[in-house]
Amino acid sequence: MTDHKVRQRHGIQVMEPPDSVQNAPILDEKKTIGHTKKYTKKRIVSNSALAILTLLSFITRFWKIDHPHQVVYYLKRTYYFDVHPPLAKLMLAGIGWFLGYDGHFEFDNIGDDYITNDVPYIGLRSLPAALGALLVPLTYMIMIESGYPVITAILAAGLVLFDNALICQTRLILLDSMLVFFMLCTFYCYIRFYKYRLREFSNEWWFWMIASGVALGLTLSVKLVGLFTVLTIGIAVIVDLWNLLDIKRGLTMDHFKKHFYARAIGLIIVPIFVYLFWFYLHFAILNTSGPGDSFMSPAFQETLQGNVMSLESLEIRFNDTITLKHKSTSVFLHSHPQRYPLRYNDGRISSQGQQVTGYKFEDANNYWLIKPAKIFMDPSRPEDDFVKHGDYILLEHINTETHLLTHDVASPLMPTNQEFTTMPKDDDSRYNETVFQVLIDDGDSDTKWKTKSSYIRLIHFDTKVALWTHDKLLPEWAFKQQEINGNKNNVEKSNIWIADQIVGKNEPPKRHLPFFAKFFELQRLMLSHNSGLTKPHPYSSTPVNWPFLVRGISFWTNNNDREQIYLLGNPFTWWISVGAMAVLVGVLSADLISRRRAIHPISEPVRNRLLNSGLFFFMAWFIHYAPFYLMGRSLFLHHYLPALICSYMVAAVVFNFMFVDSVNYPISVTGPRKAPRIVAKAVVRDITVITCTILLAISACVFYYFSPLTYGTPGIEPEGIRSRMWLDSWDLHFQPKRHDA
Amino acid sequence: MDTLKRRHFTTTINQQQFSKSGYEQVPLDPIDFDENGKLYKPLRLPENKILAFWQQYNDILIPAFFTVLSFWTRFYLISYSSFVVWDEAHFGKFGSHYLKREFYFDVHPPLGKMLVGLAGLLAGYNGSFEFGSGEAYPADVNYAFMRIFFATFGAWMVPLAYFTAIELDFSQHAVILATLMVLLDTAYLCISRFILLDSMLLFFTFTTLFFLTKFHNQRNDPFSIDWWLWLILTGMSIGCVTSVKWVGLFVTALVGLYTIEDLWDKFGDLSMPKTVYLKHWIARIVCLIILPIQIYMLCFAIHFAILNKSGPGDAQMSSLFQAGLRGNNFYGNPIDLAYGSKFTLKNMGYGGGLLHSHVQTYPSGSKQQQVTCYHHRDSNNEWFIKKMREENEENEEENNSTDVEFVKHNDIVRLVHSSTCRNLHSHHVNAPVTKSQYEVSCYGNEQLGDQNDYWIIEVVDDLLENTPRIRVMTTRLRFRHKTLGCYLRAANAVLPQWGFKQVEVTCDKNNNPSDSHTYWNLEHHWNDKLPAGGSAHYRTLFLHDFWHLNVAMYTSNNALIPDPDKEDILASNPWQWPLLQVGIRICGWDDKAVKYYLLGNPIIWWSGTASLVTFVFLFVWHLIRRQRQFHDFSQAQWTHFLYVGKICLIGWLLHFMPFFIMGRVTYLHHYFPALYFSILMCAFVLDQLTSSCNQITKHIVFGISYLAVILVFWYFKDIAFGFDYPSSELKGRQWLSSWNLVD
Repeated sequence: MTDHKVRQRHGIQVMEPPDSVQNAPILDEKKTIGHTKKYTKKRIVSNSALAILTLLSFITRFWKIDHPHQVVYYLKRTYYFDVHPPLAKLMLAGIGWFLGYDGHFEFDNIGDDYITNDVPYIGLRSLPAALGALLVPLTYMIMIESGYPVITAILAAGLVLFDNALICQTRLILLDSMLVFFMLCTFYCYIRFYKYRLREFSNEWWFWMIASGVALGLTLSVKLVGLFTVLTIGIAVIVDLWNLLDIKRGLTMDHFKKHFYARAIGLIIVPIFVYLFWFYLHFAILNTSGPGDSFMSPAFQETLQGNVMSLESLEIRFNDTITLKHKSTSVFLHSHPQRYPLRYNDGRISSQGQQVTGYKFEDANNYWLIKPAKIFMDPSRPEDDFVKHGDYILLEHINTETHLLTHDVASPLMPTNQEFTTMPKDDDSRYNETVFQVLIDDGDSDTKWKTKSSYIRLIHFDTKVALWTHDKLLPEWAFKQQEINGNKNNVEKSNIWIADQIVGKNEPPKRHLPFFAKFFELQRLMLSHNSGLTKPHPYSSTPVNWPFLVRGISFWTNNNDREQIYLLGNPFTWWISVGAMAVLVGVLSADLISRRRAIHPISEPVRNRLLNSGLFFFMAWFIHYAPFYLMGRSLFLHHYLPALICSYMVAAVVFNFMFVDSVNYPISVTGPRKAPRIVAKAVVRDITVITCTILLAISACVFYYFSPLTYGTPGIEPEGIRSRMWLDSWDLHFQPKRHDA
Repeated sequence: MDTLKRRHFTTTINQQQFSKSGYEQVPLDPIDFDENGKLYKPLRLPENKILAFWQQYNDILIPAFFTVLSFWTRFYLISYSSFVVWDEAHFGKFGSHYLKREFYFDVHPPLGKMLVGLAGLLAGYNGSFEFGSGEAYPADVNYAFMRIFFATFGAWMVPLAYFTAIELDFSQHAVILATLMVLLDTAYLCISRFILLDSMLLFFTFTTLFFLTKFHNQRNDPFSIDWWLWLILTGMSIGCVTSVKWVGLFVTALVGLYTIEDLWDKFGDLSMPKTVYLKHWIARIVCLIILPIQIYMLCFAIHFAILNKSGPGDAQMSSLFQAGLRGNNFYGNPIDLAYGSKFTLKNMGYGGGLLHSHVQTYPSGSKQQQVTCYHHRDSNNEWFIKKMREENEENEEENNSTDVEFVKHNDIVRLVHSSTCRNLHSHHVNAPVTKSQYEVSCYGNEQLGDQNDYWIIEVVDDLLENTPRIRVMTTRLRFRHKTLGCYLRAANAVLPQWGFKQVEVTCDKNNNPSDSHTYWNLEHHWNDKLPAGGSAHYRTLFLHDFWHLNVAMYTSNNALIPDPDKEDILASNPWQWPLLQVGIRICGWDDKAVKYYLLGNPIIWWSGTASLVTFVFLFVWHLIRRQRQFHDFSQAQWTHFLYVGKICLIGWLLHFMPFFIMGRVTYLHHYFPALYFSILMCAFVLDQLTSSCNQITKHIVFGISYLAVILVFWYFKDIAFGFDYPSSELKGRQWLSSWNLVD
């Protein structure tokens, strides 16, 4: 390495014109036109490299995107989608709507099947995958715009291309690919903007600044991690403004103020408006559609609604009259004086009790009075206490003054399920059969039952069946209403009911909240929900492990074929990028120390590039990484991905410093005042190309070696797992059994 | 921004530079001296005599006046409350341990508590009092003397603040303001009047800063006697402050940052010979690193030397160390482990405890009986070693005989908990805290059980000599689970309240042979069939014990996390401190009792915090003006502005910010060291803001500040001096609703 450095310095001495400005070659537009031929050739090389990288990127991201056709993730969906701003959810919802998907599926459990549930998961996955694929060309373009030769840009893009973790995370229905995509867009636009700094207030200058602001707003609207991107750009802007403020720049105070206000508009006001816009859209969509409305109802809608719903929900007390709505079929629990016929068509016999059915429309026969089951009640609780998780209740049908009951009699349509009927309320003879327990989803004994937002199951005390209904309709004798029966599998998802309203209490319940009230309420909820994610998770990790890839995350397994998806980066590229960052810090510190002793080892253009571009990427890495140390919530490896991309760019910068002589300088668009400037030109030598090729070849091999874990196919034998366990801490599935002595 | 308009640089500032302290006000013209160089007696009118005396000696009179006031306030009514107030309960007890020479364990380093012991010794106290919280002091405990001992440290804070402000080149107005604020802060006053470590911590924090400023002012005369003196004193002061509480590391960090910047500046001085530069480095390494560490270790050496009897803290230390304490009859233990022996098992990791189990069960996982590591001796730490059940049945007859079979390396054994008769057990269930490892529980009984009750004993080595047998205390063992292949481990992860905050015991899937947390040794050992142990000589290295104790302190300190199940009314959050949103009732709140309320002087706290913010704005303002080439300061003034600003702001940040990151429970008095830096900043900022005003305006501004501090103090003085009337009479003083001064 020292060898290269010597040569490099030598190269600069040859290349670089004398320091005095008078003798420096002067950038001459005409001269540039004279070089057009060479210029076009370069462009062709650059563009074809870009095209090939993009193609490869799409191939790696879309290969076998249909596999597996099951839910792949490890956190409960509600957590995952509730804590983030709405943009990514809206994008996915938009795709879902476009594909005609009605959002009936819950995404609740890993391994739930997409095909049997008829979810257009390939379409849903292709959005994140496409954005994930675009990360490669974006990285390439950022490096080119930052003034690096094609070979350096190829290296940076290649590292992104062959990263297993980025591929794995962006192929699935997750938010990270959108986040990273918008983050890179922000960087790209800001770099373009900065390059127009000598043509201040020109159209291009305005365009790229506003574009950075928009991209910044979009990043923030995907995840709050976007705040780190805001901070990165903010620091860059402050440094820029600070230099403009310097009296040596010769700007008047008024002129400086113009710069200041322009950035305040473009990089503060614009992002805020973008951010607000998505929330506005979010609320607008929620308002125009009720629950069950199929306009924009991918599964996400319900969780989106969850937050706003909780604002409008009321706590239920004993002796309230409510209506109960079945969650998946949207019918109300209903009863009427008509009785079940003695004998059904198939010959079975009923109890001839009063009918209990599911009815789609508002009706006074949907009203049920909640009474405490006194013998199970803590006598110290007041008469009108809140109904809580685990409470035993009786449901009185108001119009017929009867109690809801179920018993060991087969239901009209399903011999396996129990019939529901009612008993006169003054008849205590079958008291136990009229008692039901309220179980609230994710509830504990302090959870209160609320309208709209609580998902409850009603479990029969005597027989432990759950109140259930399905979309089969009863015959004419029950006016073709839905059958209600008792489901013996009382943990099934379709047992969920929601208290729709408390009769009389919340008659028009809809508080119309002004936009900002909802907005701030949702911000608060997101933040508190986010910091509330402290529950330890078997695959959570601490930030210190991330750059070194100490541990991955198991996303999905298939025991039959020994297939698994395990989020793990490409160890080679991760480790060289960490090494590169150490080199950068070392070089800059050595430079700082030697300059303190009045020694200037690095030529001015090279140093300038290292500080302005290299340090920018390094800072971006640091800001997207370090704050995680301060967070109390549970953290996962995928939180490192935005920082990872930055570290790849740092790696390319360091590569450029080590293997490319000098730099292309200057790269900014020239301004109206053509002051003479020092010019330098990067020289790519054979060794540069060879090193880059070797690095990318190794990356590709390692990527291929680990790709079964990324794509979840093909399955690997235990020996193969063992040989892939480069670190003991990678807890892959299907490891060979330990044979200890 | 109009003020940013270009203005000619004025030179009037130089005159202000000469009015800083009282010295320059006495004109020392050559005509005042006679031929012998003696000073003429100034010619004054008789009624001006006092004034003349004042002018000549005010640099002594002012601090003397404040010192007297300081002692008076600190000592006034010091024995008013004859009860054990607040943490006197802890520190008094620790002092008693020194007098009784019993080994105890605490999270704080020993210097402060040894001084409690010394105070007790001087007071003629014999160490027999229990210091129960809120108890009345018995007649034979001279608690007033002990309190005076600590109040003395508190009282010296005032002159130290005075001279530090002088060294920081404050104007006389500002010096007096800073001193007055330290003198009249009710929180400083209140905390100094009891047997607590805080007055000492504050005292040594003050001395460190004072010595540092003294040293800074010698910077132009390196390697002179004074230079060395102040450097060495700074180092000693660092050693003392960290030996009182680890919070002292924050002021140490301030000295460290100052030194790094200083050396970096010198590094850029190309005219300085390299040998001189090297000398600067060596001087600092010796005085600021080696010397403090020596003092810190010396404190521990004395600590170990004094505490030579067995006491409540034994179990925190290694078995060998305990063997060296008088009162522990470890020498009587049978030496070699045999089947059927009863023993306690000690984890050899730093801060390791004894293997423990109790009838409570895990609330999650297997829901079987808990196994933990525990630092106190009780009968639940005792275990029996038995053979596998299969072998046991074959040899049942042998068991009854007097034959003894010793345990060897690689034996498969069963560990039976003595009081519940359950077997040490592990299985494919994740541990409750360290999820990546297996849970260890107690399961079954003599008959009921399975293969998961078996452990393979692996001998690592013996600290004394090689022997095929397993020796008590000296043999290092590991326990490998027979079916899972994992290793029994306890690594300072603390269980939640359901596990009584004891240390989690797990079975580690990864075999890490050098992990001392998987090492165990026998501590107590009982076996009637074996002869009592001989006179084997057990020795421990001081360095080993020192390190062991420090790790244990660190671990316990981290375990002091807020308990979500229990609301601690005394605890508070760091963000509540700078604006004084909380106070602490430090004793019972009966209407008749003598009550103290730990609360700062609001005007001091609020203005201190405001001044920090003001300084940041001032700094940015000047920075922007400099970028536009307006120089309001001369270079020397600018350097001085930065120097004081850095000391105060960074000092404050260093003493405040870490509490946000710390997981442990935090209290209002943790802010007290940071308060000092905000007080200095307040005086400095007021100085800066009035620097362009004339003398009369300054008199008025500072006069009002003094008056405000004094009046607010007077209004609040009872909460620090103590009051025995119902707190409701102080209703008017409850300025913030978050204070709980009045119910």
